[in-house]
Amino acid sequence: MTTYIIQRLFIFFPMLLVISFLVYSGLELSPGDAVSHMISPELASTITAEQLDAMREAYGLNQSFLTRYWIWLTSMVQGDMGYSMAGGVAISEIMVKTVPATLELSMVALFFSTILGCSLGVISALKRGSGTDNSLTVAGMAGVSIPEFFFGLVAILLFAIELKWLPVGGRLLPHYETLWDRIPNIVLPSLVLALMMTAGAMRYARSSMLDVLAREFITTARSKGMPEWRVNILHGFRVALTPVVVLIGFRLPLLIGGSTIIEQVYQWPGIGSMFIRSVRASDYPLVMTISLMYVFVVLTASLIIDVLTALIDPRVRLGKE
Amino acid sequence: MAKSSLDKKFDQIRKREEEKTFSTKKRSRIVNKFLNNRLAVLGLIIFTIIILASIFAPLLSPYDPMRVDLRSMRQPPSFDHWFGTDSTGRDVFTRVLFGGRVSIFIGLGSAILSAVVGIAVGCYAGYKGGWIDVIALRISEIFMSFPQIILVLLLVSITGQSLFNLMAIFILTGWGGMYRLARARMLSLREEEYVQALRSFGLSTFTICYKHMLPNALSPIMVNITLSTAMFILTEAGLSFLGLGVPLNIPTWGNILNVAQDILILQNYWWMWGPVGIVISVFVLCVNFIGDGLRDSTDPSQQG
Amino acid sequence: MEDKNNIALSVRDLKTFFYTNNRCNKAVNGVSFDVEKGKTLCIVGESGCGKSVTAATIMQLLPTLSRIEEGEIKFQKDDKIINIEKLEKNGKEMREIRGSDIAMIFQDPMTALNPVYTVGFQISENLKYHTNLNKKEIREKCISLLNDMGIPLPEKRVDEYPHSYSGGMRQRAMIAMAMACNPKILIADEPTTALDVTIQAQIFELMDKLKKENDTAIILITHDMGVVAELADNVAVMYMGNIVEAGTADDVLRRPTHPYTKALLESVPVLGRGKNQDINPIKGSTPDPYNRPIGCQFAPRCNWQTESCDVMPEITQINETHQVRCHKYEQFFEKYK
Repeated sequence: MTTYIIQRLFIFFPMLLVISFLVYSGLELSPGDAVSHMISPELASTITAEQLDAMREAYGLNQSFLTRYWIWLTSMVQGDMGYSMAGGVAISEIMVKTVPATLELSMVALFFSTILGCSLGVISALKRGSGTDNSLTVAGMAGVSIPEFFFGLVAILLFAIELKWLPVGGRLLPHYETLWDRIPNIVLPSLVLALMMTAGAMRYARSSMLDVLAREFITTARSKGMPEWRVNILHGFRVALTPVVVLIGFRLPLLIGGSTIIEQVYQWPGIGSMFIRSVRASDYPLVMTISLMYVFVVLTASLIIDVLTALIDPRVRLGKE
Repeated sequence: MAKSSLDKKFDQIRKREEEKTFSTKKRSRIVNKFLNNRLAVLGLIIFTIIILASIFAPLLSPYDPMRVDLRSMRQPPSFDHWFGTDSTGRDVFTRVLFGGRVSIFIGLGSAILSAVVGIAVGCYAGYKGGWIDVIALRISEIFMSFPQIILVLLLVSITGQSLFNLMAIFILTGWGGMYRLARARMLSLREEEYVQALRSFGLSTFTICYKHMLPNALSPIMVNITLSTAMFILTEAGLSFLGLGVPLNIPTWGNILNVAQDILILQNYWWMWGPVGIVISVFVLCVNFIGDGLRDSTDPSQQG
Repeated sequence: MEDKNNIALSVRDLKTFFYTNNRCNKAVNGVSFDVEKGKTLCIVGESGCGKSVTAATIMQLLPTLSRIEEGEIKFQKDDKIINIEKLEKNGKEMREIRGSDIAMIFQDPMTALNPVYTVGFQISENLKYHTNLNKKEIREKCISLLNDMGIPLPEKRVDEYPHSYSGGMRQRAMIAMAMACNPKILIADEPTTALDVTIQAQIFELMDKLKKENDTAIILITHDMGVVAELADNVAVMYMGNIVEAGTADDVLRRPTHPYTKALLESVPVLGRGKNQDINPIKGSTPDPYNRPIGCQFAPRCNWQTESCDVMPEITQINETHQVRCHKYEQFFEKYK
């Protein structure tokens, strides 16, 4: 098991390194030099030419590309991510403020969509060909066909404007104190996000389940006189779980991407809407840094999924097949 | 015990068999299965209608999609304007028709082109192996480490907005999926005996790869193209909605939706954004139906 | 008719039809046989003749798009007779029979065992549902079963997964699982087709031993005449959904009366006869099940076919044990007198 994890880590770090290198190259190529990104604007306005030169020296601007890259990388890892071009705010500060919001949204959506998607998919598979199956399948297809922002807009129109049940957007208002206060705000965006993901998860769960139910060991379980629920769940779903976990892992990038647009629609102050703002403003340091962060998240998620898969499926653990 | 509906169905089939009244049409099994899938057929019909409507847009509408008419701003749907008019007096229905041209072109075009690139590289890399394969694999992995939207936005911020930039970006981010598919099929087919036989006949790599092995991988490729089309259309719509996709002077379905960012319009002028959204959803749904139908009909393990 | 107490299972006029692709395939079309206690019945035939379907029908393990059309499957449980075809497919009674009274082993043990559970777990499931043993006793029983089947280091093996077993060991584990509750009938569907010939011999030795020690009736499904010669007490030869000839091993192998049986026996090469021996393949190939010949199914490939073969022959009881379905049986049977 540990060897497996170490193997995975061997892929994780080089990949991260390569991408950080690409990101840094992108930064270098964009207008403005590396130092101007790293100095806060207040400092920049009072700094003298000699002090600027000294800073350039410190940041290795007079040295090779690789040294600069290394300095940038090490400061990144230590938490110093430079400054955003647009507002002059420290990027790390931006991260701290916005990432929790996005995490909140994504985790809620992921949780509900996984549970709902898997159960509906399994039910669909068990009742294959019935009315339930057919309507769920069509509903699922509708779910992946409707643009999420459109669905989000319709939801706002219906629930926030017409029915006035829920707020139009945003995450926190000054008078919010408890967790309970915050719930109305998270309902719409997370629900919209979750419904989109459920549709996809449901299709995967269904097809994986159908696959497994056709296999020989299901017949064997029945031949032992096991009741249907045990055959379907304990034997069927348990084996169907592995590919579903993997596929959900692959959908994580989609979740992150999907939350970007939803955040914008609902004015949710997460990293996604921040990213869009930075693209609009051509704020390259912010754009690059956030992208790198996204990559980090995706790679970490893949790693976790791999480990989870190994835990669930003994074949993977022992390196067979 | 009462007869279930399944039992009754069986009785019907048995009766037909014994009286020899079953159909023995000689049509290809794949086509048959596809046509039996009502959703797929429905999807195909509506899909064709929408495409034809977009192609023949100038014939279907007397209005110019770009022409501003300040006297008829923000009018609700009427006999003159089926979808009403937008904030500068342009006929929304016409814009939807013309927008369809661009959106479908981008979606379908990017899907096909990225498939061509992906297959070309995947076939060769999968068959030959070696350093081309390794490099291509690593590159595609790098692309896959980014969430798609993020990567697209990143590239848009670098290259600027234009129709062709967008398509180029789509192809760049999309080839990876098809590449892996083609490569996987090649890897499994490579070990098949008929390939060894072809090699022993002295046929060139190119011929073996593209002429003999590719047709075997065709069905998942077709399915993948339809699904990619759906994805690209949705992505373009999302980007243009944000104003970061196709420049606003060219109408696309997403661009038209751009106005909905204004809450005033959202609430009061539903015709400016509602119908477009529905059209997009319906079109993508049809594409998905077709893709699903293709998948079901070409999958040999599906039961009747 | 035999003494009723001798018969474990009795099948009469069984018909099982498949309904896929909107067509009706009469996979089993009127099959009758008896399974004697403590004896091995071999059902032989080419692929697609319906032998596996017959086995699945007895256990009611048919896929969704099929059903038992007609016929009777009478099972002797304790002192009463149960009509299996009348039981609900996955109902309580049927499930009680499965695993504890009638058990089945399958062709490919790699796919027939669940890859994510240990072998011990899969055997213990059987015991958990059909016996009253507690956890500790179940575990001990699993280990002793693996031991009986000849698996070395059973205490260790019981906690391992199927993929760490070799092919032969997996099949032994499957047999252990099937025999866990001491079933009266063991159905073995081509249990050695996926294994090496040497392992095959070991498995059959094992099955023979079980039969003798536990008085288990065995229904062995195979396409290999050599296996039949080795193991069978009784034989039933199937072709396209019908039993064309049945009887004791002696009857069928030494005095084959149906053209198909004769052809099968003649098409098997014999070790030791040298390379110039006469191997006569059966001409033609099995017909499309959706496009069957009228009357006797074997007629198009038969060397003695005449017009009368347009009508399906009835079952003729040649003697007490031997029966055949052929219009021309007399001319074959004459030779043995």
